[in-house]
Amino acid sequence: MSDLDRAIAQLRACRLIPEAQVRELCYKARELLIEEGNVVCVDAPVTICGDIHGQFHDLMELFRVGGDVPDTNYLFMGDFVDRGFYSLESFLLLLCLKVRYPDRITLIRGNHESRQITTVYGFYDECIRKYGSANVWRYCCEVFDYLALGALVLGASAELEPSGPSYNDTTQSTMSTTDDRELETEVLNSKGDVTMSTYRPRQGSSLDNGATSPTRDPAPLRTGAPGTGASSSGAGSYSSRTGAVLCVHGGLSPLIDTVDKIRLIDRKQEVPHEGAMCDLLWSDPDEIDGWGLSPRGAGFLFGADIVKQFNYKNDLSLIARAHQLVMEGYKEMFDGGIVTVWSAPNYCYRCGNVAAILELGEDTSSGGTVTRSNGDIGRSNGILTSATEKVPLRSPGRRYRVFEAAAQDTRGMPAKKPVADYFL
Amino acid sequence: MSAPQIPNLNTLRRGAGRGRLRGRGGGHEGPGSTSRGQKDRVVQGTDNDASVSRLSAVGLGYLEDSFARVLTPLGQETRRLPIINRGTYVRTTAIDKLVARFLGSTAESDSAWKQKKKQIISLGAGSDTRVFRLLQSDLTPNLVYHEIDFAVNNTAKIKAIRGTPILQRVLGHREDVTISDAGDALHSPIYHIHPIDLRTLAHQSESSANDEPVIRLQETVDTTLPTLILSECCLVYLSPDEAAGVVRYFTKTLFPPSGDTSETLGLVLYEPIRPDDAFGRTMVANLATRGIQLQTLHEYASLEAQRRRLRQQGFDAGQAAADVDFLWERWVNEDEKERVAGLEMLDEMEEWKLLAQHYCVAWGWREGCVRFDGWNDLEGQSSEG
Repeated sequence: MSDLDRAIAQLRACRLIPEAQVRELCYKARELLIEEGNVVCVDAPVTICGDIHGQFHDLMELFRVGGDVPDTNYLFMGDFVDRGFYSLESFLLLLCLKVRYPDRITLIRGNHESRQITTVYGFYDECIRKYGSANVWRYCCEVFDYLALGALVLGASAELEPSGPSYNDTTQSTMSTTDDRELETEVLNSKGDVTMSTYRPRQGSSLDNGATSPTRDPAPLRTGAPGTGASSSGAGSYSSRTGAVLCVHGGLSPLIDTVDKIRLIDRKQEVPHEGAMCDLLWSDPDEIDGWGLSPRGAGFLFGADIVKQFNYKNDLSLIARAHQLVMEGYKEMFDGGIVTVWSAPNYCYRCGNVAAILELGEDTSSGGTVTRSNGDIGRSNGILTSATEKVPLRSPGRRYRVFEAAAQDTRGMPAKKPVADYFL
Repeated sequence: MSAPQIPNLNTLRRGAGRGRLRGRGGGHEGPGSTSRGQKDRVVQGTDNDASVSRLSAVGLGYLEDSFARVLTPLGQETRRLPIINRGTYVRTTAIDKLVARFLGSTAESDSAWKQKKKQIISLGAGSDTRVFRLLQSDLTPNLVYHEIDFAVNNTAKIKAIRGTPILQRVLGHREDVTISDAGDALHSPIYHIHPIDLRTLAHQSESSANDEPVIRLQETVDTTLPTLILSECCLVYLSPDEAAGVVRYFTKTLFPPSGDTSETLGLVLYEPIRPDDAFGRTMVANLATRGIQLQTLHEYASLEAQRRRLRQQGFDAGQAAADVDFLWERWVNEDEKERVAGLEMLDEMEEWKLLAQHYCVAWGWREGCVRFDGWNDLEGQSSEG
């Protein structure tokens, strides 16, 4: 067993690793993350997760429900730390898994992965309390600066395979109708029972198998800028394909109209108070037209029209983001153009919400030749058509697994601290 | 998809799952098995929570309160989370506003009302600083203030008063102030601290009519003055019968309505509400693990229930209620909102709304011989938000 595997085992048991090992881990993680672009490309299948916030036992529950690393390919959309009592254990475990299985877990930055925010919301205090100095906090913050700002999920399947034997919708779907409609979304509880399904009409174009070709860009025009119209050379017509899925912690920015512009940001710094990088980590979708001021004091509110334009321009079929507590664990908005995924059940041990993770399946219809890499070289190109021949994109099939908080008795809550603050 | 090697922590759940979580071996017993004495100590301890929260909000600039530090136990100072600070701010300023209107100390107050001497009776006041803020202010010169709390809470406060010149100065001449031998009661021409377990007031008619502190309360309260009763997170800890009994003691026993000679009687409540949604259920369960039972919470679970309560308990001239989220949105002006929002980055907007929708301020009054209209134009929340 390597040191790293030992560290993983120890952290899984919610026991911390020595400071020297944290330093080494953070150093290795930085070396790995520095190679990643601002927007990491991730190939489906992938399981997308929202905020964790130091709720270690609930993170274990997430792995139980979603499958373990490296069996499941994970994408965490930031906010690993703050608020919960086990930010260190949670973040260090995720970081160990990243170093151990770099191609099976992707971590992007949330607004809480910041020096300023962690001093207010608990992570700094936790580091001092558990390690006796600010060293570990400093190491972790240096890692934060290298985390990618977003991810682009490529090759997701438009249609879901219905979940196995527990599928209980047979009374409503007769054999004749299932042929001309396809499963678009499915919601499962933590036991794997389907609690909701939605369908859409099947598209005839799925018969057009002649168009399938390797999606690797034969001659990238510019390295470092795949996944955008700029580097596309048009790989044929794909009326049945799904667009890419952009994953960011918060949302969009008025300064960013293409995914390419995200790639131009100099990200290796503390999260600024304003500007494109700040907006990506702080903004929220809202039922407004255009842009609005955010009540959070950072980032912006953006409406359905903004999402629609951005998705169209960038050949995206979906934006997945986290950042906002949603009581049901996930929330789709704007005709399915954007979804909020929230993965901290009973947030702050107080909110009573359930959590969710989002699974995107792999599109096997195109031969499954999409390559997987977190690096910037020789990677698949998610954008297959040029701007002049756009066809409507289909959104990927979405499977939400909803789960509750791990039982409170097993948390080992620190006895001194109140469970949660109320006004008394 | 599920990974079998990871233990399912939910299978370790005891009992009926969500909703009723009880601490196990953590020093607290379930509320059912706790003795009355233990339960009281827990409720008394909630005062500490409130004073620490107040000091946190003052330290960060949410509130101005020169008495917050001296009335918080030494070494207890901690920085509360931004949403708690904002909640403390909204609760305090909303009640301040109701109090100021009642006392007639605002610019728009009716002059006849303004000139009348007033009285405030604060239930479960504990370490509250409001009395000092009001007595110090030039805007409220004609005021008598009564506080009622457990003897143990009074002792701490009176000890702080004895040891702190800025508190003593507010009380005026030293020779006007008398303190009981036990150090749990204080009397002066403008300020009284009564060591009374409120439940004895609820059971007044039956037994403890000759309870010394209760007699003293009856002697010192001036029943000819317009009077405002305050309950900030206090009556909610009593049983529904006792809570109603305490209010009845004031509305019937001390201030019986007597046609055109009686004066205005007002009640301001600050309490949690909405125990039946996911947040509310979790709140009830979490507080239960601390041994705290909000006994009237289900009885007065909504704004409408709070208004009905005020109406039924005799505050028939007007009743209104609003949750803290509403009070932040509608009672705090835009400049002030901007100032407060600039004090700390409040990242957790959704959590703030959730929390703030689970606390309310309710106010109602009974008309007296001099017309009181100071609360007429305060905006309440009409429907359940």
